Amino acid sequence: MTDAAQRPAVLVHRAPAAPAAVLREVCAGAEEEGVPTDVVDVPARSADAVGLAHAAARDSPLEVGVGVDAAGAVAVHHGKLPADRPATTAGPDAGPQDWRRTGRTAARIVKGLPLG
Amino acid sequence: MGAPDRDPSSARLVVGVDIGNSTTEACLAAVAPDGSVTYLGAGLTRTTGVKGTPDNTAGALRVVRDVLARAGRRPDEVHTVLLNEATPVISGLAMETITETIITESTMIGHNPTTPGGQGLAVGTTVSIADLAGQPPGDPVVCVVPAEWDFDDVARVVNAAVARGVAVVAAVLAGDDAVLVTNRLDRPVPVVDEVRAVEKVPLGMLAAVEVAAPGRTIRTLSDSYGLASVFGLDPEQTRAVSPVARALTGNRSAVVVRTPSGDVTDRRIPVGELVLRGAGKELRIDVDAGAEAIMATIARLQPLDDVHGEPGTHVGGMLAQVRDTMADVLHDADGSAQPPAEIAIRDVLAVDTFVPAEVRGGLAGEIALENAVALAAMVRTSRSRMQLVADQVSEQLGAWAEIGGVEGEMAVGGALTTPGVDRPVAVLDLGGGSTDAALLTRDGVCTAVHVAGAGELVTKLIDSELALGDREVAEGVKWHPLAKVESFFHLRHEDGTVQFFDQPFPPQVFARVVVLTPDGPVPVETRHGLDHVRRVRRAAKSRVFVVNAVRALRQVAPGADLRALDFVVLLGGSALDFEIPELIADELAPYGIVCGTGNVLGTQGPRTAVATGLVRAHAAASSCPAG
Repeated sequence: MTDAAQRPAVLVHRAPAAPAAVLREVCAGAEEEGVPTDVVDVPARSADAVGLAHAAARDSPLEVGVGVDAAGAVAVHHGKLPADRPATTAGPDAGPQDWRRTGRTAARIVKGLPLG
Repeated sequence: MGAPDRDPSSARLVVGVDIGNSTTEACLAAVAPDGSVTYLGAGLTRTTGVKGTPDNTAGALRVVRDVLARAGRRPDEVHTVLLNEATPVISGLAMETITETIITESTMIGHNPTTPGGQGLAVGTTVSIADLAGQPPGDPVVCVVPAEWDFDDVARVVNAAVARGVAVVAAVLAGDDAVLVTNRLDRPVPVVDEVRAVEKVPLGMLAAVEVAAPGRTIRTLSDSYGLASVFGLDPEQTRAVSPVARALTGNRSAVVVRTPSGDVTDRRIPVGELVLRGAGKELRIDVDAGAEAIMATIARLQPLDDVHGEPGTHVGGMLAQVRDTMADVLHDADGSAQPPAEIAIRDVLAVDTFVPAEVRGGLAGEIALENAVALAAMVRTSRSRMQLVADQVSEQLGAWAEIGGVEGEMAVGGALTTPGVDRPVAVLDLGGGSTDAALLTRDGVCTAVHVAGAGELVTKLIDSELALGDREVAEGVKWHPLAKVESFFHLRHEDGTVQFFDQPFPPQVFARVVVLTPDGPVPVETRHGLDHVRRVRRAAKSRVFVVNAVRALRQVAPGADLRALDFVVLLGGSALDFEIPELIADELAPYGIVCGTGNVLGTQGPRTAVATGLVRAHAAASSCPAG
């Protein structure tokens, strides 16, 4: 775990009940952009997606994190942004394309590309 | 209504009002009986309605009341309001593409997906992924994948086929999955993705797929002999596919399918001829010949009497459209519209341009840069209804109002109040529709000319060349410097300097090229880099204003010799632009001309020159009653 946290990667903080389908698309979005992700399981009583994302961003060597909460909501954050202002979010019912988009957005923050 | 003489011994309050295409400007002054002038204030507001129409009254009244209020004077103190006689020209614009790229039989995919997969060149027969399981081992295969396929399934099916001995050498995907698929292949191959109309790719045909390494562009499919080598073409066939090679130049990835009659054509659209009349001659010039040839022809026909487009051709339609628009604006004194056929076009500025257009028959939203020509046309009118505006202003303000002078002459008078300027002086009024020049000689003789093309044409060129499709955004690109947002907290200006911000930028401007408006950074929706946008912006300004500055000054300069000019003062809205004045000054410097932006009264910048000139002319006239 600690070794994985050291390599340059977007950290994905996952609540215990986070849906696997959401996680798969988030990671695929980042992979298509060529940016690695590391998934971290966080304790049950954690925050919502935005809170998870901000914590992940602060831990990430790339300062970019994604949070997936138990309901399947996704948020993307940058470590230097105010905690309540994520770069982007997707609701629990967003669907595969939006989940993929959040992963892509996280990777594009790292690469310095328009988030689109 | 007569001029009220409230107190002949003291100074009289006079307001000069200049109604322009976009702004209405005013200059308030007290004129003493000896003709000496004390300036009390200046102001501007948006012009209401089309210039030279009774709708202008509201804006004129607003700006007059505004300058009076700020000077602490009452409307009933005003002795005379002076209005400009509008520049007797109206202009219109038209643009027409003269080339068109068409792909037939879906033979070519040339686009730049942001993330293609793998790299290299591969040639094989196109097979749908649904049929891959039944494909016998042997010949190389290019796998075609429709949108509904998941990346894991694609990789599994391809890996299984390869394990059976089917040589899958490349893949073409509808979705944005190329890297994901490539990462899961046992043997990575070049993969081109985001091909939206992948179902139109012909199956069972020989196809070549090329993906270049990051930061590079394809080398084989963008080369005529590369295509000939790949497909074994003879010289005649090679000639036929050379447009394909050209269309693919500069791409990072491409697919070319060889079908019996597939083709990419680069067609010239017959635009038609311009028929130009002037100087007792009539000449015809094909619009296809380009802007330079058109402008050379116009130069031989000065002064121009009229311009027509060959009926039934594109250019005929272009000029008819310009005439129709102008007919809506031009009215007789009684308010009835002027028939389009009676409108004579007295000047044309032709500009070569290009329009990024979606390729007809393309499968992935391919864009080709098509050549186009833009025309600005100008019409003379003697039918301004400014007197009607003067009457209405007079009635509603309770002061005498009159037409104080013709715009060009008044502008020179106002420009002379710029510190450091002396006769002989030429002014260049860089407006929205036309560029106007006026020259005042040492002996006080004034000549004025108007040429077609100004700020509106610049906006149109920027809009179409960057494919913005939004006039407001194009205006933003024209008026404000560019920057690139580099993080949530800093951006790099177009001159390379970096600025830090203590509040994070909104995500929608992250990493984007932005225009720095007073309200903050506004993203420019383009895939082009900052340098490209900047180049397009400066080229558009140069092709319109630098060209027109020289054209207009030649017409007023003694003997058409720019060296005969001493002082040139830039006026008008576009003289406030952050780079147009320097572009023009650079062009005029070799002729020994002192050129700079006007600073009317030493305080007003390039604004209110005409309004100030009106007051000066009035004061000069009233100090010598005999004249």
